[in-house]
Amino acid sequence: MDEKGDDSRRKIRRIVFLALKATIKATIFYVIYFIVSGFLAPVSELIPGFQQMIEAFVMVYIVLMIISDLTSGTIYQHFFNAAKALFVMAYLILSLNGGLFGVTFENVSLLVDLRVFLVVAMLLSLLGLAKSVLQAINYMSEKAEPKLL
Amino acid sequence: MNISIRMIGIATTIFWIFLILFTITAAYSVKDIQFHFGDPQTSMNAHNQVVFSMPISIVNRGYYDVGHFNVTSRIASEDGSEITRGSTFIPVIRKDELVTAYHNLTLDINDLLESDANYLFNDTNLRIYESVGLWLAQVIPVQASTNFTIQWGAPLYNFTIGQPQFSVYNMTHSRVAVPISFENHAFFDLTGTIQVRMFSGGTQIGEGQTNVEALQNSRYDGNVDLYVSNTLVDLSNVRFEVYFLSPFFNYGPWVIPYG
Repeated sequence: MDEKGDDSRRKIRRIVFLALKATIKATIFYVIYFIVSGFLAPVSELIPGFQQMIEAFVMVYIVLMIISDLTSGTIYQHFFNAAKALFVMAYLILSLNGGLFGVTFENVSLLVDLRVFLVVAMLLSLLGLAKSVLQAINYMSEKAEPKLL
Repeated sequence: MNISIRMIGIATTIFWIFLILFTITAAYSVKDIQFHFGDPQTSMNAHNQVVFSMPISIVNRGYYDVGHFNVTSRIASEDGSEITRGSTFIPVIRKDELVTAYHNLTLDINDLLESDANYLFNDTNLRIYESVGLWLAQVIPVQASTNFTIQWGAPLYNFTIGQPQFSVYNMTHSRVAVPISFENHAFFDLTGTIQVRMFSGGTQIGEGQTNVEALQNSRYDGNVDLYVSNTLVDLSNVRFEVYFLSPFFNYGPWVIPYG
């Protein structure tokens, strides 16, 4: 009876710890976004919809981060980490229109070539994806290893 | 394996931080790059071409150098065919540096008139295509372009040769006063010479010229006096050939039949 109680108490403590960790991480991430968005204000004035674009990205990323943290210690954590990396890649490709970003104000058209940035971001995202896959493999191999008595 | 995975994670995070910081500071630098486009000056070069020269000052107070600064201007006719083009290129503008350059556009009015003499006599529209490009932090290419229409004013708009006035000059020659009028709609003051040759049945029978000076948007009215032999004049078969000689352009002959 005592063992069962200890076990459920440990589980609750663990869930609380994970939730706390996820909350702190999400808060830090949001604070960083808040500071960075101040620097991006001049860009937001130039490009309509830029602010909403960034906000949507931050929202989805934070949600994936929280789920990934809540599922920490399970195989799902690595799935969500991989999903996070894939989301970043897909989002960058779609939002940056393949790296060529064009805006037109009245009679002036502005073209920004962000392909170098996109390539570097893709490589880093691939590295993130590779890390998630390696973590999943490592997790599975650790599970499969016979426990020493 | 855990250590390797952790190292990948740390390296990825560091690179992401660098990339985001670099992107933000590069974007932030845009507002600290100032461009000043001065008033265009018009002058003539040694080949009698009109040179439009526009001073451009760039102050780079951003965090990074700016590379490949390029201004391109293209003038085209209404149907899109290119009349002239000019480019100015500055390889690098270092940070905290002021660079001044002159963006020159050369227009050979003789070439323009060779392609279409209407530019001499009729007002029309010209299309101007402008583009400014630079590489932010020498890595991110940015280009802004625009196009607009300006009016081309004809230097000899509504050029007319009036009724020649014949009068006796002496026993052997008559004086022919050919009235000439036009409006100078061009962007420059027109100074030069109008030369008129008079032909009768294929033979030149007289020649005269006059100096003209027509300010921008002003009308010119004058006469060209020719002296012709009394025996040679056959008014049934007379034609005039008109030549324009000016520092900006030479044009002729423009054949005007008479009678």
